Amino acid sequence: MVEKLWFLIPEMIVFGGAVLVSVLGLSKRKVIRDALPIVAGGSLLAALIVTPMLYDAEHVAAANLLMGNLGLYVKVVVCGIGILLVMMNTGLIDRRLESAVAAGRAKFDPISATRGEFFAFLLLSLTGLMLCSNANDLIWLFLALELTSLPTYVMVAMSRGSKKAQEAAVKYFFLGALSAAIFLYGFALLYGASGTIVLTEMRDVFARQADFGDVSNLAIVGMILSILGISFKIAAAPMHFYAPDVYQGAAAAVAAFLAFVPKFAGLLALMLLLSTIGWENHYRFTEIGLPPALQITLWIIAVLTMTLGNVGALLQTSIKRILAYSSIAHSGYMLIGILAGPGLGMSAVLFYMLAYGLMNTAAFAVLAGLERSGREIETLDDLAGLRQRHPLMAGVMVVSALSLIGFPPLLGFWGKLYLFIAGIEAGHILLVVIAGLNSAISAWYYLGLVKMPMLEQPSARAETVVRGPSLWPRVAGLITAAAVIVVPLFTRNLLKASDAAVADEQVFVTPDTDDSQQLASRK
Amino acid sequence: MIDALMNLSLGQHAAAPFTVLTLSHYLLLSAALFVLGLLGFLTRRNMIVMFLCTELMFQAAAIAMIAFGRYHMDVSGQVFVIFILTIAAAEAALALALVVLLYRRKETLNADAWSELREPAGE
Amino acid sequence: MLTFALDLNAYLPIGILIVMALLFAVVNLIGTHILGPRRHGERKDTPYESGMDPIGSARKRFNVRFYILAMTFLVFDVEIIFLYPWAVTYTKLTPGSNDAALFLCRIMFFVATSIIAYVYAWRKGVFRWD
Repeated sequence: MVEKLWFLIPEMIVFGGAVLVSVLGLSKRKVIRDALPIVAGGSLLAALIVTPMLYDAEHVAAANLLMGNLGLYVKVVVCGIGILLVMMNTGLIDRRLESAVAAGRAKFDPISATRGEFFAFLLLSLTGLMLCSNANDLIWLFLALELTSLPTYVMVAMSRGSKKAQEAAVKYFFLGALSAAIFLYGFALLYGASGTIVLTEMRDVFARQADFGDVSNLAIVGMILSILGISFKIAAAPMHFYAPDVYQGAAAAVAAFLAFVPKFAGLLALMLLLSTIGWENHYRFTEIGLPPALQITLWIIAVLTMTLGNVGALLQTSIKRILAYSSIAHSGYMLIGILAGPGLGMSAVLFYMLAYGLMNTAAFAVLAGLERSGREIETLDDLAGLRQRHPLMAGVMVVSALSLIGFPPLLGFWGKLYLFIAGIEAGHILLVVIAGLNSAISAWYYLGLVKMPMLEQPSARAETVVRGPSLWPRVAGLITAAAVIVVPLFTRNLLKASDAAVADEQVFVTPDTDDSQQLASRK
Repeated sequence: MIDALMNLSLGQHAAAPFTVLTLSHYLLLSAALFVLGLLGFLTRRNMIVMFLCTELMFQAAAIAMIAFGRYHMDVSGQVFVIFILTIAAAEAALALALVVLLYRRKETLNADAWSELREPAGE
Repeated sequence: MLTFALDLNAYLPIGILIVMALLFAVVNLIGTHILGPRRHGERKDTPYESGMDPIGSARKRFNVRFYILAMTFLVFDVEIIFLYPWAVTYTKLTPGSNDAALFLCRIMFFVATSIIAYVYAWRKGVFRWD
């Protein structure tokens, strides 16, 4: 019990930050309300600093999780990118209310102030994501996934006053509730098939079933339902169609959040769930790996996801829709790593998630940092000739788009490279070929994002694009773009970190006797 | 063993169909609720009804959890149900808030009235 | 094996409950019919004498605060179900033992989070009716 709480200290810090932020948001003093992003970012920074101190071999062994060190990598990445997301959302909420209060036109009224709540929800969602990485039972995983998702629905609705944001929130919410019900039913079947909700025990049960023939069909059906439900969170094929609408309706800064946080949570959940059913080349399983039904399901989902994502993006004029389809396509790429499985595959997914988080945040930061007649820039035309008026933002957009294509030597290239290597090593050659073709298609629309700001002349419409009122989204954009250029220098260290995150050297502290005999007889 | 139980059709109890309740009866009930919820969600356009359908699916999962918990003589299924109820309540509060927000904008609960966000018309 | 024999005796309490509920309803209806005074008038003839006016559009607007309050109630209402399993377990622990203290601390923490939420809602002005 205590070991579990030990690893939750970063989550507790962020949760405390969420409570603090929501209370401070009701303060009558403007100084305090303006300091909310600093408090939110500060709590994330504190969690970021504390996390590496918590993960030592002794505690990791005592906690007996599926992947003991996963939390270390995930929490550091989440807190780091979380700080950037907080920066992007600075100055987004309550803009009208705050300016009215500042001008003395209105009195501050707690019930109409939502800034504190917005940052609290943002932190709670990040807490949920961090919790996913420690999950060791189905209840925990379910609650963590829901804690990640529920606040995002509210954030979408709050992000802009327009009807579009509300429509986006409702679409997102209803599909989210549907997907939650589907994977919950899957969890119920998994529980039924194994008789336990603890993931490590579940793996032993399934391994024993595999020894006596096959993993029960109930478990396979449960796993497929879970995958389908979770595909909503990562915006993958059967449940991907909401993404363009929702990203377009939400404010750019919130869309960046949606593209990173629920996706990461969903991928972590997939990793943990699939680890229980033979994905991991664990000694208790034969070398077959995933049951064929699951392999086929994941394969089809991966191909559909990347193809639909890339083809869908070709005809778009709204930048947010392009980025939404690109987010779908990138989920497809990451499913290659999920299919490739333990070791290289999983570690490549974790690395890619970091890369995707950075380059995607950079692209959305450009949208969040600029505006045209008081509204966010929307279409590709708004970017025309950006180089002349806002050279730095144009640079950020170009770097991010090139990295999203996978242009060497930027971060996205390394991410894709490792994913594809993992896929080839696991024998999914056809899948990697399809992914390569998809990358070629994607170059078409990403190059549009490069061409518009750099080569085109500014249209009359683009002439009116100005800087947004807050400096911070642009700072976040510059930081992420710089990271996309600089981080590849540390690829080796990062891969070492992500390898360590998925290693399972300590998984079985005390294998019980009959199982070790089985192991001996197998050898 | 579970598979064998799953495969037990009602026919095998034909001699005394209503005297013995097995796991499969509960699972059939839960599957029926789940499918009803799914169908309702896909066919109805009233936002409140759509939400109720997702709740139906949640409760289907809860029934399956309890039945499996009883079958395995394990309490974690019941514990799970408590958490499912909590999440369902949180979602209900959220749904109510969103639906009221939308209703005040357009005075209708029809989900089709909200279609501003869509693919651009073919060029 | 998950089997429940259908023992009719086991359902006897439910049967009695149903019969009592029906009796209660019927006796009340008949009783008011026999004992109750009969006066007529515009107000008296409406279905809900002291409730809402049933005439006119049913699509009356409620104050939006009503919904906020309803939502707040919904969330706090569900928190209670966490107290039941705790209460059942707590009585089985030895009083004064370490486990009992730990359990008490846990539930106190849980209640404290609820109180924080309540105070927040209060400060936010959810319960203000002006």
